[in-house]
Amino acid sequence: MVSTVLVANRGEIACRILRACSEAGLNSVAIYANNDKESMFVELATKSVELVGETIGETYLDQQQILDIAAEHGADAIHPGFGFLSERADFARAVLDAGITWIGPSPLAIEMMGDKMTARKTMKAAGVPVIPGEEIDFEDETKMIEAIVQASTRVGYPLLLKASSGGGGKGMRKVENPDNLVESIKGARREAIAAFGDGRVYIERMLTGSKHVEIQVLADTHGRVIHLGERECSVQRRHQKVFEESPCAVMTTDLREKMGQAAVMAAKAVNYEGAGTVEFLLASTGEFFFLEMNTRIQVEHPVTEMVTGVDLVREQLRIAAGQPMSCGQLMMRGHAIEVRLYAEDATNNFLPAIGPLAVFRPPTGPGIRLDTGVREGDIVTPNYDPMLAKLIVWAPSRAEALQRMRRALDEFVVLGTTTNLRFLRELCDHVDVVSGNTDTTMIERVWPDGWSPQFSSDILNGALMVAGVSESAGLHQVQSTISSANDGPQSPFQSLSRRYP
Amino acid sequence: MQHEFKFAGDTVEVTVARDSGTWHLDDLECEIMADGRLKLTVNGVIKFAHSAKVGDVWWVHLDGHVFCIEKTEAGSNSDDSEGGMVAPMPGKILEVLVEQGQSVASGDLLLVMEAMKMEHRIVANVDGVIAMMNLQEGDQVQQGDVLVEISE
Repeated sequence: MVSTVLVANRGEIACRILRACSEAGLNSVAIYANNDKESMFVELATKSVELVGETIGETYLDQQQILDIAAEHGADAIHPGFGFLSERADFARAVLDAGITWIGPSPLAIEMMGDKMTARKTMKAAGVPVIPGEEIDFEDETKMIEAIVQASTRVGYPLLLKASSGGGGKGMRKVENPDNLVESIKGARREAIAAFGDGRVYIERMLTGSKHVEIQVLADTHGRVIHLGERECSVQRRHQKVFEESPCAVMTTDLREKMGQAAVMAAKAVNYEGAGTVEFLLASTGEFFFLEMNTRIQVEHPVTEMVTGVDLVREQLRIAAGQPMSCGQLMMRGHAIEVRLYAEDATNNFLPAIGPLAVFRPPTGPGIRLDTGVREGDIVTPNYDPMLAKLIVWAPSRAEALQRMRRALDEFVVLGTTTNLRFLRELCDHVDVVSGNTDTTMIERVWPDGWSPQFSSDILNGALMVAGVSESAGLHQVQSTISSANDGPQSPFQSLSRRYP
Repeated sequence: MQHEFKFAGDTVEVTVARDSGTWHLDDLECEIMADGRLKLTVNGVIKFAHSAKVGDVWWVHLDGHVFCIEKTEAGSNSDDSEGGMVAPMPGKILEVLVEQGQSVASGDLLLVMEAMKMEHRIVANVDGVIAMMNLQEGDQVQQGDVLVEISE
């Protein structure tokens, strides 16, 4: 049994898990670095404990400190969320060795899937199709370069270099022709060492024009392994997803069953337990290839929850407590879309942005869900991932879901920090998104020279007038750092009466 | 009231006049609402805008668009970004590919830096000669630091 869950994460996903604990009647412990002490997730736990240390390595990645806090505060389970320690088999093992329940699959399953080269080999052995490519068994830079250069002649261009410990686009390089190969290998290796402490890189053919389609799986300790249908996450920038939906626009019942069965086979091959995602590339021919398995809850899990009615995090808690999963036969209903709101400059190669959330007003209304870890007044810092929120909509059909997303994005107001909101809004109008004809290279294909917003001169003139009136009236002013607390609450009336001309 | 703003590199003068509770600019009308939003009437169509000032910049949300409009003092002509490439984020210099005095063409790779665990490539924004370059691999830089100066 589980009574107290320590959430070894922060931000949006920590909020998601802490709320699930609350709904499940469980106590929870949040851990936070000093620069997160005002963050929303800290307020959602039964108990919150500050981590000692400055860097991420000294705080959210400090395994011993987290285990000590779990022991001291009586946590009998640890949920790692995604990122941070979620796919660290050594941590899962240390948690289990400390007599604490690990909310996730076994350390061995994490290892076999976490090392992308081992995963490819395991899937080939289990009869799951993998992307044409080659594993490279050298760690030494010179030998690795030599082996990849040789392999490249067999794999062909364009190709992808991928870090064996990789994820989230880190340590990944697309190579169009042999001229850039050596420089790209060095770059991928260096980024992989910096991000994962493991510089091993392998090579895969780049399947252009294919869709990224992933299958959610759940496996409990009573021998049940099921799939919960697919999510399509083809629209990506810098190998990070921005627009996710379920069902996939081109999915058929037959193909779903085939991909679902392959995903279940993949999970069974590593004796999987809990929630996991098997990612595939779906070629335009209808062939699909194993990409990787994510052995954790995923960022885009809400779209599956919206169409299946299954609370995946709640199921994770049940399965970890040794109970059978509660969901029955797969029933998919309607259509769900998620977009990721990032603090980033879509007009400048999606570079992360920082600043205060001077105004943060999410949309409301039917069919809308917002998963976020921030609120108005928070400061976006360069310390952590720039994802601010996930906006999810549900509607009976894909067309209606897109309409709802457009409406929701138009209502969403974020001021003070540059975000990709307008980019997401224009994405919803693009003919390929409307038709469901999306593939993983779509953003580069549609905006090869970068994106810039389209607006009429009427709107710009209106905005300039708003700035002029705001300046004249001395409206809502926010300091570039956190405003001092002794100003008291700001009343618009006070500021209005001050500076009338 | 007359204000000078900078938007997308251009200087814009905006003159708004107030007539009891309503502000006017040509045929646009604007009212400030009790909750701080602004009610804008454009050709008889009503739209609601949000605004917030951070530093010298007014952030305006109107009709699903966000505009960053910088308040500038009339007559000032500050252009501090000329020829200099600044760090887009705090981070670490990974690779230095040019040295002082070297000729570069617009688009040439000058530096590779790491910020938020991602690599960012700093490329020349003009043709010219490297006038200032005193970074080394491993140096930490802050957002806004001038990394390289190029004289045309």
